[in-house]
Amino acid sequence: MSRHEQWTDQLSDYLDDELSEAERAAVEAHLGECAECSKTLGSLRRIVAEAASLTPRPPENDLWPGVAVRLAQPRRISFTIPQLAAASLLLAALSGGAVVLLLGGGPTGRSQTATNPGGTAEAPGVEAARPAGALSEDIGSDSGLAAAVNVADAQYDEAVAELERALEEGRGRLDATTVSVVEQNLSIIDLAIAEARGALMADPSNGFLSGHLIEARRRKLDLLRRAAALTQPN
Amino acid sequence: MISAVVTFIGDGVLNGTGQKSDVALAAAGDSSAFERLYRAHVARIHSLARRMLGNDFADEVTQDIFVRTWQKLSTFRGESAFTTWLHRLALNVIIERRRSLAIQRTRVADDPIALDLATVPPSRSDLRVDFEYAMGQLPEGAREIFVLHDVEGYKHREIAVMLQIATGTSKRQLHRARMLIRQQLGEA
Repeated sequence: MSRHEQWTDQLSDYLDDELSEAERAAVEAHLGECAECSKTLGSLRRIVAEAASLTPRPPENDLWPGVAVRLAQPRRISFTIPQLAAASLLLAALSGGAVVLLLGGGPTGRSQTATNPGGTAEAPGVEAARPAGALSEDIGSDSGLAAAVNVADAQYDEAVAELERALEEGRGRLDATTVSVVEQNLSIIDLAIAEARGALMADPSNGFLSGHLIEARRRKLDLLRRAAALTQPN
Repeated sequence: MISAVVTFIGDGVLNGTGQKSDVALAAAGDSSAFERLYRAHVARIHSLARRMLGNDFADEVTQDIFVRTWQKLSTFRGESAFTTWLHRLALNVIIERRRSLAIQRTRVADDPIALDLATVPPSRSDLRVDFEYAMGQLPEGAREIFVLHDVEGYKHREIAVMLQIATGTSKRQLHRARMLIRQQLGEA
């Protein structure tokens, strides 16, 4: 590369204000004594101005009919990466929360041994292995647990709503039996959630019920996620 | 109150207070509303596709972009202007297509004769050729960066992220593109 080409190669960066103060000063000094580079700079300046002033030009043919035909096909269910990430994080958080509760994160030993109308089989065994009296120290106060559950509510509801919408839009791609099974399971889980909520209203400090509610909500989210995934084309 | 009434008129999607925007209607499945959106934006999207990928792919990719828009409308949250959202979606589709054509392009770039053809001005270089034609004659890498930077107004760092290249490469290709256009326009 010749010395002159080295100057020429800096002209775009000069025009775009991408040079340091020192480099800029050097280019300006060169431009003051090089008519060829000044002429090139003028050309580049015109090209940049021309490009910036280009106006959109419609296609020569009407492309709408081709688009319209494809719109008639079922919509593809899609999620943004942040939505998928949020759903995964929420699942992980809810699972983690349930594990913490089941491993002894609940507020009282008494409540952990309450009846388990549909909860996990692991809970009693874990409960037996947990040192008595360790729960409240591990998790903090009852209000802290309630706050943790409440914090997840908005995100959870948003994720569930999103998945329900996707499932509704894509249900035409599922066979009737699958739809029926999904709906039956969802109604069972919804019933469990409603019962756990009702019981928690009466006994807000009950750690087992909190864990049961979290687990039921996690199961609902998981079922919706898998059902929605079934509606997506391969 | 008046400003609320005219909000979004820039996007051409509101007919008046209390009416749903065409974006919202289209997201709910109203294809007539979506056609209005298409008519309002097709020139800009087609021009972007044509300038980035060339005439051969512009029509097909424009249709792909609007079909993708229809499919993704439910994810539009209104956090940015619809025009901005659509433009980003269009660029994503165009860049995907560019990548799918990468093997074919590599074959051309590896061919020394093809490279010579790409960098030599057409025989009618004594004529002042149309600016868009000159852009279309640029080698693909240089053309994309020229369109993104000088036509669409993106910064080198944004282009580098979009095309997964170094900022320095973006700068070098832009300068190369400008110098080739200058040559094509007979200003060299």
